[in-house]
Amino acid sequence: MNPEFRGDSDHHDGTSDATPGGYPAQRRPGELGFAIFLTIASLVLLYNAYGISGLGALSAPGSVPMATTFIMLVTAGMVTLRTARMPKVANETMANDILPLLIIIFIGFLVVFGLMLKPVGFAPTAALFLIVAIKVLARRGWGYTLLVALGSLIVIWLVFRVVFTVLLPAGIVPEAEFIQIFRNLLSGN
Amino acid sequence: METLLAIFTIFTQPQLLLLVGIGTFAGIYIGAIPGLSVTMAVSILISFTFSWDVYPAISLMVGIYMGGVYGGSRTAILLNIPGAPSAIATAMDGYPMAKRGEAGQAIGVTTVMSFFGGFIGILVLALAAPFVSDFALTFQPRDYMLLAILGILLVGSLSSGSLVKGIFAGAFGIAIGSVGRDPLTFTERLTFDLQIMQGGISFIAVMIGMFGVSEALLQLQNVDKVAVRQKISKIVPSFATMRKHLPLSLQTSTIGVIIGALPGTGGDIAALMAYDHAKRVTKNPERPFGEGAMEGLVAPETANNAAVGGAFIPMMTLGIPGDAVTAIMIGALFIHGLNPGPMLMIDQPDMFWFIVGALMTANVFMLIFGLTGIRIFTKIVEMPRSIIIPLIFLLSIVGAYAVNNAISDVYWMLGFGVLGFFMRHYGYPLGPVILGVILSRLLDDNWRRAIISEREDLGRFFEGIITSPLSLTLFTAVILIFVSQTPLWSAAKIRLFGKAST
Repeated sequence: MNPEFRGDSDHHDGTSDATPGGYPAQRRPGELGFAIFLTIASLVLLYNAYGISGLGALSAPGSVPMATTFIMLVTAGMVTLRTARMPKVANETMANDILPLLIIIFIGFLVVFGLMLKPVGFAPTAALFLIVAIKVLARRGWGYTLLVALGSLIVIWLVFRVVFTVLLPAGIVPEAEFIQIFRNLLSGN
Repeated sequence: METLLAIFTIFTQPQLLLLVGIGTFAGIYIGAIPGLSVTMAVSILISFTFSWDVYPAISLMVGIYMGGVYGGSRTAILLNIPGAPSAIATAMDGYPMAKRGEAGQAIGVTTVMSFFGGFIGILVLALAAPFVSDFALTFQPRDYMLLAILGILLVGSLSSGSLVKGIFAGAFGIAIGSVGRDPLTFTERLTFDLQIMQGGISFIAVMIGMFGVSEALLQLQNVDKVAVRQKISKIVPSFATMRKHLPLSLQTSTIGVIIGALPGTGGDIAALMAYDHAKRVTKNPERPFGEGAMEGLVAPETANNAAVGGAFIPMMTLGIPGDAVTAIMIGALFIHGLNPGPMLMIDQPDMFWFIVGALMTANVFMLIFGLTGIRIFTKIVEMPRSIIIPLIFLLSIVGAYAVNNAISDVYWMLGFGVLGFFMRHYGYPLGPVILGVILSRLLDDNWRRAIISEREDLGRFFEGIITSPLSLTLFTAVILIFVSQTPLWSAAKIRLFGKAST
């Protein structure tokens, strides 16, 4: 087993969890930019951490944040230098392998989801999201899309709202009344 | 006697038994379906079980953890796609066996061996943890601080990827954990004077973002991959096969427990090390490794399940997580008002014995579910990603929102999801971030306690480290990990691992 194994050579093959991607000796598109971004962000954080309590006592509230942000700055700087020296991966582009349009679209979907969640309510927002997402990903007919999206939404809603009693924004849906009806059904009234 | 009662609490309450069962069952599938991970599931579940009592919540999580570590092996054998990182080594000999039409046998051996390894791990947990926690009472604040640093460094260096990126990730995690008002002096830290940052960043939002959203975003790139189906024959392995592999499985279980018990390192590393060990000690395998050697299944599967029990040792005795999943469980215990550490073992020994009992039960459930229901299994695993991915997003949003009923947590989650997405692409490990977030408070508090008790004198602080054998050992370990990053060491590492790679 090669400990540097990163899945198949050009695409993430579905191995999940904390298995990092990237290649040990090559630089992927955007990798250098990301490293520079992290370095600058670390610098900003370090400056901010310095502002907490300055270089006073070792036990000051700012000492650990300063130490960690300093370590971040040093390591991010090292990564940037190393990355800059590496050759580029030959057959990868930003738009194909790192950040395809589909992913940008989905990040957009999620932002819109967050914006709509409170005013419109969970059920309609989630329904809209699932329908659009499954339609885009599965590229099947409307019947299939609606059936799968609404079917799974009902299961999720029942499980989380009723079993886990998670509070979700009701928005425009008269949720409390609906739950009462459901409870009445269950208790046989 | 009371101990026994606590272990068997689970059997006196059918509801808990049921939850462990459901958890294990769900865990097997979550572990098996590529793109769904145990870490993801447990972090989302924390917020859903928020309103529950602590026992049912822990029952469910323990079941998912145990089942999930095992479940990854199924897809590794059948599809050559490890469903979870702890099953990467399993695929190397499991898939060749499946190609020869021995998928059933491979699954059978894997299941029984996972059970065996899991059992050894739990046994060691039950026997060792009380001693460790007695010992832990003598720990000084500086020892806790060193242990926390050691844990973050270990996970950064032993998991794949460069140590520098691992250290960055760990430091980043600690920084995230220190955002908000300082608990001792109430000073604002890293808040940029923003209102929303004063309360700190919800660690659940960070976890769900890093492990749920970023994973789902990555999976969007292989939405169209289709699974290949395998024929499955006889499953329950013969007693002779089991007996033949008993010595090896004992050794690899031991490796699993030890790696699991080291702070930060879990089943994935244990499995790889055990596989390597099996290759070295097996003189005459029936088939060469990599072409369907039974030993190549026995070793990683015993080790990764043994690591589960091992990972609970530092978590229960020191409050320092053994791996990413136990890190999240510590978070869950915090939420339920418990503070894992030596005092928990003394004040509430029932809690510890309950977890031991729940692990045992989950292990038995795993054996039962593992040897049955293969046919449904192949159906469920073939569920298209075009449906799974939107559902993960939905659950992540619900999970992040549910803890504090705050939309801002949803945005934190999205932000960390996108960041985690890039970190995955560019080879930054995410495990250290979560460990850092969880350990931030412990590290900060203990550093300040230690340095205040030495009257702010660094010289006296180091003198304390050098004169205490425990602190000195921990300190040496931390230094060693740093040294391991020098070119000298990496040359040795290539000789060690390079030879083993196939």
